[in-house]
Amino acid sequence: MIWEIIKMSFESLLAKKTRSFLSMLGIIIGVSTVIAVFAIGQGAQNAVDEQFEGLSANSIIVMGIKGKQNIGSTKLKTADAEVLLEEAGHITVAVGSIQGNSTVAHSPESGSFTIVGTTPGFFDVSNLELVSGRIFTEEEINNKAKVAVLGNGAVEALFPNGGEIVGATITIAGKKAEVIGYLEELGTSMGPGKQDDSIIVPNTTAETSYLGTGGFVMLNIQVDSVDNMELATAELISILREEHGLKSGQEDDFKIMDAGSMVGAAQDAASLMSLLLTAIAAITLLVSGIGIMNVMFVTVAERTKEIGISKAIGGKRGDILSQFLLESVVLSMIGGIIGVIIGNSVIFAFRNTELITLAPSLIGIVIGFGFSVLVGVFFGFYPALKASRLDPVDALRSE
Amino acid sequence: MDNKTEIKFKQVYKSYFLANGDEIPVLKGIDLEIKKGEFVAIMGESGGGKTTLLNIIGCLHPLSKGKYYLENENIGVVRDDFTLAYIRNKKMGFIFQQFNLFTRLTAIKNVALPALYAGVPGNEREDKARELLKSLGMADRLEYKPTELSGGQQQRVAVCRALMNDPEIILADEPTGALDSKSGLELMEIFKKFKNQGRTVVMVTHTAEAARYADRIIYLRDGQVTDHDYKLESKY
Repeated sequence: MIWEIIKMSFESLLAKKTRSFLSMLGIIIGVSTVIAVFAIGQGAQNAVDEQFEGLSANSIIVMGIKGKQNIGSTKLKTADAEVLLEEAGHITVAVGSIQGNSTVAHSPESGSFTIVGTTPGFFDVSNLELVSGRIFTEEEINNKAKVAVLGNGAVEALFPNGGEIVGATITIAGKKAEVIGYLEELGTSMGPGKQDDSIIVPNTTAETSYLGTGGFVMLNIQVDSVDNMELATAELISILREEHGLKSGQEDDFKIMDAGSMVGAAQDAASLMSLLLTAIAAITLLVSGIGIMNVMFVTVAERTKEIGISKAIGGKRGDILSQFLLESVVLSMIGGIIGVIIGNSVIFAFRNTELITLAPSLIGIVIGFGFSVLVGVFFGFYPALKASRLDPVDALRSE
Repeated sequence: MDNKTEIKFKQVYKSYFLANGDEIPVLKGIDLEIKKGEFVAIMGESGGGKTTLLNIIGCLHPLSKGKYYLENENIGVVRDDFTLAYIRNKKMGFIFQQFNLFTRLTAIKNVALPALYAGVPGNEREDKARELLKSLGMADRLEYKPTELSGGQQQRVAVCRALMNDPEIILADEPTGALDSKSGLELMEIFKKFKNQGRTVVMVTHTAEAARYADRIIYLRDGQVTDHDYKLESKY
């Protein structure tokens, strides 16, 4: 019986193709939007996850503050890392790095790259893996050796034709450097500059030869336990203030970021965008629901006589209610299906563009389609109820 | 009450109410009795309440006052939709002046519709509908839509629909009104057959030609029965 009624719903919708399509349009747009919303949300979440992958909750990053009033220049330096490691109780790892941009060439190729001057511990902290070669040693740091480890992007840019990479000589800021190893592709960024485009050199070499004082200093700290984060942060601040000779009342010349708050901020941004689009989708679905309700009222009015006949030959209120309700649900459901198809096509078309990160989300499809059905039920119910309650004789009399 | 009584009205009143609250009395104390297997015509002036009477018998209207016994059961008090729909579906077959077929459905689907509401499975419905249409010479018109059929053919489809659930009572409201005289007479022959099958037929009509086929004519004037066995004066 239900199938028979669904078949009849289809027939009557097909009889008014243009009207059915127009009333479906809102649902189609609404559901496509819902699906896009979830794809954007999922994409942003993936990006956040990827970006902060390997960044554990017990990480702290210290960066210098420059050009702020009454601070002048920051006194943060890579050597502060060693001081922290020695003096602070809960800090297990502390790696300082100095970063800056410089022109790097491997004739005939050249370009601007991020130079990271650091210590061997940096490779561990940043989860960097070598493809080939080795990293520099403590001895090379002490000797200010002109050696470099290349990020994958730097390798691609400087050695487009491949060839011997380890052992090759490149120039950084006009000064020679020997390539001693290169890294696996990361595809992500952390802190300023893209790590794949980085060239990693001993911190001493960077400070004296390649970057000078123009570099941006950053300390990567790891605390022994997440529970000790607050304690360690307080300790860290007092040690650095003392090291930098700051008087009480003077502001810090560095800022501290911990992994938790960074991930949180990125997620907040992603969810704000999702929220905005969800609101748009909700409004679209609401408006389309009202459209469907309107169409259903017109349909009921047009078929008043039919309703009267149905009642005269034994149609119950429930039969008439379910017929009109199913009609509206079928209408919105078809709209939902088309919306799912369009939404996913859009995701498919844009998934690999730089513009936006999209990832198809099953929840998005389920929710989008679910809402379309819900809209049909909700906005179809009142017209259907009205139809079912018509007086049979009045209905029969109408033309 | 006689066992053979199918329909019995006791002091049935029916009023309509206008939007401003004014009461328009239509039926003013109707008493009548129709026996099982009787073919009764209801005649009278227009506005006399013929159709209202038929609609009350057909459970399309609630009555305002009085008692309506269907097979000794006072169903005038029944208000729940489920029971009323059941009675309309199983006990009554309605035939209208304007046929009132679903224009979107084919003849066979139109005929099968009451069985759909009764919950009869699809194949069974279609078989029965086909059989009925065949019996009225419509075998080659099963898949036609009402707009592709003549008035007489449409009325035969409507007759088949009325018979679909094998009702005891056939209610017809001016069934020949939209038909040419030949089709009208054919329809009356069909009604006579119903009577012979033991069905009760109640027909509202204003034409003597149709009324002549009835066993008896109930004459209504101004909401009251003036004659339970009205005789047509002219050439009988």
